[in-house]
Amino acid sequence: FAVLFLQVGFQKILTLTYVDKLIDDVHKEFRDKYRNEFQQKGTLGLLNGTFDFKDDFMRLLRDAEESSKVRAPTVMKTFEQSLKSQKTVKCMIETRGEKPKEKIKNKKNKSSKKEGIEAVAAPGKASAGDKQPPAAGDKEELTKDEILQKNREEFFKRHMKSGEKSSKSPKPDAHKEKGKKPRVWDLGNSNAKVLDYSNSATNGSAEACPVEEFDPDMALGDRNREPGRLYDLEYESDDEAEEEKVVQNPSKPSAKKGGLGGMFGMLKGLVGSKSLTREDMDPVLEKMKDHLIAKNVAAEIAVQLCESVAKKLEGKVMGTFTTVTSTVKQALQEALVQILQPQRRVDVLRDVMDAQRHRRPYVVTFCGVNGVGKSTNLAKISFWLIENGFSVLIAACDTFRAGAVEQLRTHTRRLNALHPPESHGGRTMVQLYEKGYGKDAAGIAMEAISYARNQGFDVVLVDTAGRMQDNAPLMTALAKLIAVNAPDLVLFVGEALVGNEAVDQLVKFNKALADHSMAQTPRLIDGIVLTKFDTIDDKVGAAISMTYITSKPIVFVGTGQTYCDLRSLNAKAVVAALMKA
Amino acid sequence: AMAGPLEPHLEALRRELDPAVLSVLLALLAVAITLLIWRFVQGRRSSRKAVLLLGLCDAGKTLLFARLLTGKYRDTQTSITDSSAVYRVSNDKSANVTLIDLPGHESLRLQFLERFKAAARAIVFVVDSVAFQREVKDVAEFLYQVLVDSTVLKNAPALLIACNKQDVTMAKSAKLIQQQLEKELNTLRVTRSAAPTSLDATGGPAQLGKKGKDFDFSQLPMKVEFVECSARGSKGEEGDADFEGLEKWLAKIA
Repeated sequence: FAVLFLQVGFQKILTLTYVDKLIDDVHKEFRDKYRNEFQQKGTLGLLNGTFDFKDDFMRLLRDAEESSKVRAPTVMKTFEQSLKSQKTVKCMIETRGEKPKEKIKNKKNKSSKKEGIEAVAAPGKASAGDKQPPAAGDKEELTKDEILQKNREEFFKRHMKSGEKSSKSPKPDAHKEKGKKPRVWDLGNSNAKVLDYSNSATNGSAEACPVEEFDPDMALGDRNREPGRLYDLEYESDDEAEEEKVVQNPSKPSAKKGGLGGMFGMLKGLVGSKSLTREDMDPVLEKMKDHLIAKNVAAEIAVQLCESVAKKLEGKVMGTFTTVTSTVKQALQEALVQILQPQRRVDVLRDVMDAQRHRRPYVVTFCGVNGVGKSTNLAKISFWLIENGFSVLIAACDTFRAGAVEQLRTHTRRLNALHPPESHGGRTMVQLYEKGYGKDAAGIAMEAISYARNQGFDVVLVDTAGRMQDNAPLMTALAKLIAVNAPDLVLFVGEALVGNEAVDQLVKFNKALADHSMAQTPRLIDGIVLTKFDTIDDKVGAAISMTYITSKPIVFVGTGQTYCDLRSLNAKAVVAALMKA
Repeated sequence: AMAGPLEPHLEALRRELDPAVLSVLLALLAVAITLLIWRFVQGRRSSRKAVLLLGLCDAGKTLLFARLLTGKYRDTQTSITDSSAVYRVSNDKSANVTLIDLPGHESLRLQFLERFKAAARAIVFVVDSVAFQREVKDVAEFLYQVLVDSTVLKNAPALLIACNKQDVTMAKSAKLIQQQLEKELNTLRVTRSAAPTSLDATGGPAQLGKKGKDFDFSQLPMKVEFVECSARGSKGEEGDADFEGLEKWLAKIA
C-alpha cells in the first residue's frame, strides 16, 4: 500500500530541511504501527480501523524540528574575536609608526574602521605616505574632513592600476585642510583653450596622420591560409567525444555484470515473485528512453517519463511469468496512454452549439511558429464546420506575410464553391474579413468578432502570423491579441516533424501568454493541432512531447493538404506506433 | 453385449502396455479433465462479479462504499486509487458481490475504467444531485464514454444511476436528472459522431441508441434504472444512510 502525503506549502519558499526525513519517518512509523490491519483485513480493515496517529505525528514533527535547530547558522565573528586583532602589532608593521595609531583609532572611531582594515590589508601600498599627516603625532580623532579625504583617496586608489604609484603625494595633506577651497569642476569655469583637444593635423590630411601600427598577423589571423579559398566550418568535437568515452566506460562494466546477473534474474523473475529494484529497471529504462528518443520524443520528456515510470514501479512485486522488460513496457504504455488522453476533451461542436444558443460567435485563434500549417488547417477546420452546418467568418489577422490574405481569399472562394449559399438556405457559409497588410492584428480581430456578432456568424476563425518563440515583441503582440479579444479556444498549431523544439516552443508561448495577461487566470493554450502527420511514418513522438508539456489535448490532426485531411487523435494507435520496435 | 466387441481390443491393449504405464496414463487423463473442469468453473464464476462505483469527483462514491460495507460514516478524501471489498447482500440470498470504488478524477477515471470494465457485472453511476445543473455536461460526457465503450456494450452490465446527496434540499429529483441526461446525451452523440474520424479509423464511435429518434435510456442494450439515495443520511453522521433503493437493486443483481 502507499501512503499519501498532502503537503501544503511551497518547498522553494519554506526551505525546511527536515521535510524529507520527516516524511520517511512518518511513513515507516505508520506502516509499522498499522501493518496488521492492512495486511490481514484489507479494505475493511481500512474502513473499520481507527487510526489515532496524531500524537505520533506531532512527536515525530517535534523531533525533526529539533534536529534541524541544532545546526544553527554560525554567527559571524566580530573583529575583536577574529585572529587579526589578536596578532601582535609588531608583525604587521611595515611602515613607520602609523599602524598602532590606526589600531587605536579603530577602537575609538567607527568610521575609520574601514580604512583601518584596508590599511592593515594592504600594507604594501604606496599610500603609506598619505596616511602620515593625519596621524601627525596625536592620538585624537580625525576630523570629519580628514576622514572624508582619506576615504576619497582610498576610493581612487582602489580604482587605479596596481603598478601606478601616483597617489604618492609628497605634500602632507594637512595643507588641504586649512580653509575652504573652491571646488574645481572638470567642465565648468575653464576657458575653451583648456577644452580644445583637437589635433590640428586631423580631418582630411592623410599624411599628417601618423601611420597606424599595422599588425598584419592580428588582422589576417591565420598566415597559412591559401588566398581566396573558403574553408568549412570546423567545430570542436573532441570534448564531446571525451565525455562520451568517460560516460561509456563506467556503463560497460555494469553492463557486463548486468549480463550475467540479468540471466539469473530473468530466471528468478520467471518463477517466483520478486520486487523490482532500481538496478533491475535501469538497463530496461535506458533502452526504452533511447527508443523513445529515436521515435522523436523530446529528450527531456523521455528522461522525465522514464523517471516517473521508475518511481511508480519501484518496489512493486512482479507476478509469475512476467519479466522486468514486460512490466516496464506495460507501465510505460499505460503512462503514455494516460498522457495522450486528455483531462477534459475539447468538443468544439458542443461548445459552438452552446455559443449559438447565447447568440454570440465562437472564437478560435490559431497561433504557432512560422510555416507549420496554420492557414491550411484553418481552411480544413472551416470546411468541417461548414459540413456540420455552422457559418464561419475567417479573420485575416496575418498582416505581415506576403500573400497571407490572398491565400485565405482563395480558400474562401473554394469553400463557397463547395458549399454554395443555395444549399444552405441562402446564407453564405464562409466569408473573409480582412483589412489588408500592415495593420494591427488585435484590432482587426476585435472588428471581425463584432462584425460576426452583427451578421450572425456562428464561428470566427482568427489566423495569426507565424512567429518564433524567442521574438519578444511579436510574442507580446500575440499575447495582447489573445488577452484583448478573449477567444473561446486558443489552438497552438505544431507540426509533427518538430523534435526537441516542441518543448521550447510551447513553454515560451505559454509563458508569453501568461506574462502579458492582466486577468487573474490568464488564457493559455487550450488545445493543440498537430499538423503534417502524414510526413512521419511512426515517429509520432512529437504528440507526446506536446501534450506532456501543456497537458492539453490534441484537438485535431492534420494529415494532408486537402480539405478532408482532418482527423482526431486516437491515443491507443499512437502509443502502439510509439512502442512498436 | 457392448463389452463383447471391445474385449479383444482391451485384451490387446493390456497385453501390449505395462499396467504401470497404463495406470499413469489414466491418472494423467483424470488430472487433465479435472483441471479443465476447474478452470471452466473458475472462469465462469470470477469473470464478472464486480459492481463498479463510477461518477464524477465529489459525487459521494467513497462514502457510499463505506456506508454499504460498514454502515458507519467516514470522512473521505478524493480517491486516487481503487478500493474493493466483498459486500454481502442484505437479503437472505447470502450472495455476495465485489464492490469496487473507482476514483472520479478526470486524469484517473478512464485509466481505472479500462482496468475494471471487463470484470463488471453491474455499474452504479453516482451523480451529485445538488451540483447537477452545473455539471450536467461533464456528467453526460463521462456517462457517454462509459456507454460507448466496446467492452461495456458487449457485456451490457446492468446500470443504475444513483442520484446522491438527496438529503440536501436543493437536490434535483431523479426524474429531472433523467430528462436532462437524455437531452444532453442526444446532443453528444451527434457531436461525437460528427467529429473528425480518428487516425487508423476502426469504424467510428459506436452509435448510442436509435438513429432518427431522440435518445432514450430504454434504447440501450442494458437495463437502466434511476434511484435516489443519500449516503450521508437525513439524520447526519450518526444516523444511517438512506439507500434502500440501492440495496434492493444490489440484491436483485447479485
